[in-house]
Amino acid sequence: MSSNEILLMAHLMRRVGFGSTKDELNKYVKKGYDNQVDEILDLEPNYEVSTHMINRYQPDYESPMGSSANGATWLYRMVWSDFPFKDKISLFWHGIFATGYAKLANGYVLADQIKMFSNYGLGNYQDLLLQLSKDPAMIIWLDNCESHKGAINENYGRELLELFSMGTGNYTEKDIKEVARAFTGWTIANKDYMTAKSQRDSVWPYGRLAMHFEYKEDDHDGDEKTFLGETGKFNGEDIIEIICKQKATAKFISRHIYSFFVEDEPPVPEWPYKKPNNPEAIEALSEVYFDKGYNIKEMLRFLFKSKFFKSEKVWNKRVKSPIELVAGTLRITKEFHRPDKEQSLTNSHTQFMGQHAMNPPSVEGWHWGTEWLDSGTVVERVNFSSSKLGNVNNLGIRKIIDNIKSNISNQFTPEFLIEIVLEELGAIIVSKTTKETLNDFVKSKIDSEKDLTDDNLSEFLQLVGAMPEYQRT
Amino acid sequence: MLNSNPNRRDFLIEQKERSLVVIQLSGGNDAMNTLVPYTNGIYHDSRSAIHLTENKIIDINGSLGFHPEMGEINKLWNQNKVAVINGIGYPVPNRSHFRSMDIWHTAESETIASDGWLGRTIREIDPKHKNVVTAVNFGRGLPRALVCKDVPVASVGDLNTYGLMPDIKGSVQRENVLNYFSRMYGPNQGRDAILNTLSENGVSAMTGVDILSGANSQYSSSVEYADNPISNNLKDIAKVIFANVGTKIYYAQQGSFDTHAGELFNHAKLWKDLSDALGDFFEDLREHDRENDVTVLLFSEFGRRIEDNGSGTDHGSGGVAFVLGGSVKGGFYGEQPSLELSEQVEGDMKYNNDFRCTYATLLDQWLGIDSVPILGKNYEQHNFINTGI
Amino acid sequence: MTTSFKIESRKTMGIAAMQGRGFYYPFDLSFDSNNRIYVLGRGHDYDTRGCRITVMDMNEEYHGTFASFGTQDGQFMWPSSIAISNSDKIYVSDEYLNKITIMTTEGKFISSFGQFGKGDGEFDGPNGLVFDNENKLYIVDHRNGRIQVFDEEGNFIQKFSSQGTSEGNLYLPWGITFHSDDRLYVSDWGNHRIQEFTTNGEFVRSVGSKGDQEENILHPSSCAIDDKGNIYISDWGNHKLKVFDKEGDFLCSNRGEATLSEWAKDFLNTNVEEKEARLKSKLVFELESFKNDPFNESAHIEKLFWCPTSLTFHKGNLLIVDSSRHRIQVYNKVYKI
Repeated sequence: MSSNEILLMAHLMRRVGFGSTKDELNKYVKKGYDNQVDEILDLEPNYEVSTHMINRYQPDYESPMGSSANGATWLYRMVWSDFPFKDKISLFWHGIFATGYAKLANGYVLADQIKMFSNYGLGNYQDLLLQLSKDPAMIIWLDNCESHKGAINENYGRELLELFSMGTGNYTEKDIKEVARAFTGWTIANKDYMTAKSQRDSVWPYGRLAMHFEYKEDDHDGDEKTFLGETGKFNGEDIIEIICKQKATAKFISRHIYSFFVEDEPPVPEWPYKKPNNPEAIEALSEVYFDKGYNIKEMLRFLFKSKFFKSEKVWNKRVKSPIELVAGTLRITKEFHRPDKEQSLTNSHTQFMGQHAMNPPSVEGWHWGTEWLDSGTVVERVNFSSSKLGNVNNLGIRKIIDNIKSNISNQFTPEFLIEIVLEELGAIIVSKTTKETLNDFVKSKIDSEKDLTDDNLSEFLQLVGAMPEYQRT
Repeated sequence: MLNSNPNRRDFLIEQKERSLVVIQLSGGNDAMNTLVPYTNGIYHDSRSAIHLTENKIIDINGSLGFHPEMGEINKLWNQNKVAVINGIGYPVPNRSHFRSMDIWHTAESETIASDGWLGRTIREIDPKHKNVVTAVNFGRGLPRALVCKDVPVASVGDLNTYGLMPDIKGSVQRENVLNYFSRMYGPNQGRDAILNTLSENGVSAMTGVDILSGANSQYSSSVEYADNPISNNLKDIAKVIFANVGTKIYYAQQGSFDTHAGELFNHAKLWKDLSDALGDFFEDLREHDRENDVTVLLFSEFGRRIEDNGSGTDHGSGGVAFVLGGSVKGGFYGEQPSLELSEQVEGDMKYNNDFRCTYATLLDQWLGIDSVPILGKNYEQHNFINTGI
Repeated sequence: MTTSFKIESRKTMGIAAMQGRGFYYPFDLSFDSNNRIYVLGRGHDYDTRGCRITVMDMNEEYHGTFASFGTQDGQFMWPSSIAISNSDKIYVSDEYLNKITIMTTEGKFISSFGQFGKGDGEFDGPNGLVFDNENKLYIVDHRNGRIQVFDEEGNFIQKFSSQGTSEGNLYLPWGITFHSDDRLYVSDWGNHRIQEFTTNGEFVRSVGSKGDQEENILHPSSCAIDDKGNIYISDWGNHKLKVFDKEGDFLCSNRGEATLSEWAKDFLNTNVEEKEARLKSKLVFELESFKNDPFNESAHIEKLFWCPTSLTFHKGNLLIVDSSRHRIQVYNKVYKI
């Protein structure tokens, strides 16, 4: 059984990224927990393969036309980063500010939004909301380009308050209209051509075009507005400033952070009716929000070093999202050491499991937690992880097998084999039932060192990939 | 296969139930080269590059004809088993594949919805989800039409290889590993919410696999289907129908109909494969005396431009759908849209009947389910179902 | 010296299309003896239909399409380059299948050669192809960092260079050009330079240095030489066309001046709403984010080069395969102003 230090580090690495292997965990433990947290938050990641390399072999990965290559490019980054924390952060914001291909028909604009999340997603929340309000993908997705002086479209105003900042019950319908008025004139350049291309899903004549924000003073309603009790000739920036001052905003964002990094909360629509799992933690995070000037990174630093995060009670208390499952597995198998055709196919698996990156089911994003699981997606999830872990030709799996063989020598016992494998895969903790089942399986196949054949180990690793614990993070 | 739970099939009542097969023509089927207004001069003028040869078009009423490759569908038409739904669409056409397909899937044309119309239907049919195979999708990943919270749908790539952990070599080894799998997902396993859900779904996944592989092994037929994706899917659907496992909804796709270029060749191949596959499927149903129990809907997210672009056609609106089956009253439903310039919408055929009228008809008259809660309101219905049967 | 030079656009050909008229992520092109152009489409992983060859001519007439995605004879997975022999046979390299396919100009499969490996006649990612005037075929074996030479039937003759960064070594080279009876110019993509060899494999010199300035190049994909010996480089990483004189001194560059092709005009004439909205648009503009990021700039400004992959001179026209914009930009030769 791994030491407590290793188990805690494994928990941290699953939450800040997609899990770490045994060797990585040993290295991080030596640095010390708090240092590791600071490094992850403060250092820029390194990528094993450059974007030039990806682009040479898979030209659509960085200049995407369609709906899928963006997700595959993103998945490469999750797999090839030494600390995929920034990609985890963009995944976090993508789940909240969910924007989708269905309406945009333009992969580049979506990929730009994900880049924006990784650039601004750890900064001040006010800046992030400002960038979001100027983001071309969001402007089309929630129709702000169709909102005009004297003829508002409320869509963005409503979701900004309901889904992106305060949550229902903290503002009135009148407030929504005032917000919509304040954001009139916030649109995209060449709006008619860009929306015509999106609506017609047109790649003609020469492919899709990237988009950029444009502020149209003459279409902005500059008159006085009253929002949350304050009155003035508000523009969008003023609205965001007022939003960020609200206690409700602090709580709403804190609850999202808690749900993503600590343990699954119920889906957002249920929040007004269900108390948080840990109200004190939400309260404490809200305080940091105000103390540190709405800074997300400082909220996370506090969180990762907090007792409630480190507590064994929350270890493995989340269901892996399909992207977490796929990225985490590929980091173990290390099968993509350079751009590879199979990458595109692999990325499609997140879609089969119900999470098509940059194409969420609606503006609400995906419902996380146990809602990932149904009898159809369980088949996809189990088959994916078991076939990847069971493929002994994968570089990472080969290495695990070599480690097993060099560590076991003469004293083979089923317990020892199980322990090594679970450690190698990132210090996975399993229940008594699972352990007994694995034990019986090993006993039925492997008596001694000489039975450690590739076929037997492959079957064992497939069973490990299929165990319920592998579905948790 | 798995004998660890002999009671697993108890809830399945052997009965020959009615079912609906939905085939999505992905990419936007060119309605004008499917149901061809070949006596109309505007057709020939606007399709200078890609019009179909007049003497090969299969005439059906003196002014309209099927695409030359739709011979098998024409045979069903002659038996009065094909309802042609002309001018089908929705208000304010959207010509993006994804958005338009979403509209057809969610039956919601104004706002972005996440539930699918068939997902909601399954929830009505089996609210306690007693049967994990009430709906079966052929293809990987669930189309939004079938998505609905807490509604289980089996997604099958290929019935012959469908199952858990297909990479385990050898059936004996696989059965062995699956026994351990079922222990790990069994009732002895833990108590928290995640484990309960995993355990529940792990068990229903095994049940689904068990039922569907049973359907595969029981099947026998003298019909020889061609070897292409849509034929394979329809053959798999026939297998599940004959196994009487309570499946009410089947879903499959044919494509891509996105014929911006090289349309004459590509469109012909797509319809040949589909039409032949449907011919074999209905022959198979007849052989098993099930022709009257199955209704097939063919739909596409939109039609295409009236005028060609030199080698294909671009995205348009206004399309044609087909409903086929032994219980269908053959004939024309909806009106053939006029091709006159004044009647066009931005160069497209104008829709004259809402696709939700067709959905409502299938729900109320075929599946016997109240369409109003599923579609959100009462839509006028067609009368293409032969209610006498 | 105040003389300056200029290179400008003549026209643009092509349209984005995975079937019929047009191409999708074209990587390379070659002319046959009847002046027909064979454009090699790479396609992309999520929709394999774009993986094919499109036949056209300089008047933008479309003459059909052949070949498709797959592993069978006459199919490709990751096609990279195309060359046509003196006897009008088409050669296509596939860097995924590690083989060269030979076909007729009608698209009929003749034969193929090569397999994965490091030995003679084996490949690890065959890329650029070129014939000399003796009908010998030079193949860039890019991950093996070498050039292999074959006869028209695919029999191995010799090999030269090896992987590395020193002069005469290659690191992930891409395109190859033949010029002036006995010279080869290899685009040494990973080392940011063009290397000149004799056809016997002797290293002559190297041109270009890494960087994003005018006189630098970044990951060159291909080059072409005119009758005066001027060197034209598709500066793939800087998304530019660069011209150097025969001594290797910088003359001028062009960032891309694409116009509407005949096929593009046909599309816009059929889809009038798009045409009208396009006419009202400002398609060229400046953004802060373009600084030091030509890739991003090319994503926004349609007329600019976006990942140019291949250069070919034909009867005084310079054809540039503008890959990520699915078109061919045609330029004249460099001239003094």
